[in-house]
Amino acid sequence: MVLVLALGDLHIPHRAPDLPAKFKSMLVPGKIQHIICTGNLCIKEVHDYLKSLCPDLHITRGEYDEDTRYSETKTLTIGQFKLGLCHGHQVVPWGDLDSLAMLQRQLDVDILVTGHTHQFKAYKHEGGVVINPGSATGAYSSITYDVNPSFVLMDIDGLRVVVYVYELIDGEVKVDKIDFKKTATTIHA
Amino acid sequence: MADGATPRRKSVPDWLNSPIWSAPPSSPRHRSPPRSAPSPPQPPPPPPPPPQSPRDPVPTPPPNAPRDGDGSGSDDEGEGAGAGAAGRSRAHLVAEFRVALDRKVVDLAELRRLACQGVPDAAGLRPVVWKLLLGYLPTDRALWPYELEKKRSQYSAFKDELLVNPSEVTRRMEEMTVSKREKHDAEGTGVLPRAEIVRDEHPLSLGKTSVWNQYFQESEIIEQIDRDVKRTHPEMQFFNGDTSDSLSNQESLKRILTIFAKLNPGIRYVQGMNEVLAPLFYVFKNDSDENHAASAEADAFFCFVELLSGFRDNFCKQLDNSVVGIRSTITRLSQLLKRHDEELWRHLEVVTKVNPQFYSFRWITLLLTQEFKFSDCLHLWDTLLGDPEGPQATLLRICCAMLILVRRRLLAGDFTANLKLLQSYPPTNIDHLLHIANKLRGPLPY
Repeated sequence: MVLVLALGDLHIPHRAPDLPAKFKSMLVPGKIQHIICTGNLCIKEVHDYLKSLCPDLHITRGEYDEDTRYSETKTLTIGQFKLGLCHGHQVVPWGDLDSLAMLQRQLDVDILVTGHTHQFKAYKHEGGVVINPGSATGAYSSITYDVNPSFVLMDIDGLRVVVYVYELIDGEVKVDKIDFKKTATTIHA
Repeated sequence: MADGATPRRKSVPDWLNSPIWSAPPSSPRHRSPPRSAPSPPQPPPPPPPPPQSPRDPVPTPPPNAPRDGDGSGSDDEGEGAGAGAAGRSRAHLVAEFRVALDRKVVDLAELRRLACQGVPDAAGLRPVVWKLLLGYLPTDRALWPYELEKKRSQYSAFKDELLVNPSEVTRRMEEMTVSKREKHDAEGTGVLPRAEIVRDEHPLSLGKTSVWNQYFQESEIIEQIDRDVKRTHPEMQFFNGDTSDSLSNQESLKRILTIFAKLNPGIRYVQGMNEVLAPLFYVFKNDSDENHAASAEADAFFCFVELLSGFRDNFCKQLDNSVVGIRSTITRLSQLLKRHDEELWRHLEVVTKVNPQFYSFRWITLLLTQEFKFSDCLHLWDTLLGDPEGPQATLLRICCAMLILVRRRLLAGDFTANLKLLQSYPPTNIDHLLHIANKLRGPLPY
């Protein structure tokens, strides 16, 4: 039972001052085992804050990140799942499923987490899942101003992952979930 | 009366001052007074007779007809044959135990009397005796299989219900509420549909009834239990080796304590409970009967609950200062000491100002598990569990006896020396100790 927090595109301080208060009250240290962040934090203070929630932090570089040392893509294995991480501005057209699927095949992962569009999306494609956690602060994106703050918490338990989607709609936190089971025989080419 | 020239001391009963206490007690298990006393084996010792007879005080010797041949009623090995007598007495004792246990309906009074003499180690009797004394097994032998089955399956149910992680719980809740749910698996392409969550059950939930929230709140206790279990009896291979056996023993201890903490929200887990549990689990796990040894965890859990029920109040912080709490128990010990040996009491509390809390807290809450070698501790517990007066009263008497046994050193020492002595109690002959504890019977001061 591993809890993995996936979030990104905070754009602090340029486009948003901070995470919404309701999100912050829920994110307490000690519950989450891993954090994966798609990028565009943008400053070190945000990095430190995320580090205080959980020591195991993985970040990829977004185009506005001030720390240039983050890598472009990252892969990690948690339990039975391979996760891939990328900001997503590199994948053109932005947010297109087929292009993201190419990236997923390239990284050879079960779950690909990307951002940049600031819209929550969850697709399944050919044995894998592509998740976009959206923007945790609700910052405007290159595409649209109408953004709801959202992030994703994955509960990885054996071959099954439950994806909890947290969205702030009209000032209230709405939580949905998505169940996904990996078939043990799935082989990536 | 003026405290001037001749301070009047409350006289110590003469039997306490008898020279026999200064000789290193070396005699093996027997019931008559130690042989160094110049007395014929059978009758009471020469010093003025103490209030009760020196024999084991169970008022009526059980009128047992089917006793094996020899010793009728009294088992004094006072033939003065030394080691041979001890060997014979052991065999005697084993035989008596077997007789007592073989009855259709076990006579608890008889069993208690026998247990107070000490359960022989080698014969594999201790697990059954303890289970009977703690009320885990009913006295009617015919009911044993049924009772055991019932209790063990109850324990499995507890494990199943309480030790499962929240992911599992939510999954089960789902399966109950939504009969047909399309499982999303790897086939196909497309947007993954979102589903509503059941009753606000998500991992970051801060709701009081949320399974997740409870899980995270309890994780503190679980960590504490984990740490304490790892520190239990580090010198023993059984608890702390590298083998998979000792690891599984530790896991069993952890499970028992966790389930106890979850079932008792009032008292949860307190440091020290692991020490009280350890001897129980050890004895049951080392049962010569394979079946019983395999279910040692379930048996130990129920016996632990039973044993702790008498001592719960000692662990409850809020009750510390109340009439039933640990402070009052310590006061009772102090009063007991004053009643039996005022000189020592005065020296300890008034002259050297050794507050009984400093040493007796650990003695009482941990039921003396930390003061003696593990095997001695098991002997001690035979009496503790077997005495008809009940464990609480017996414990106080034994503690008092512990103090009286080292009275010479205590009377000669100051605060530091006495505290040091009492906090690391010197190894002593347990039979001797129990013998003295026996003599301290009488109504407890309140």
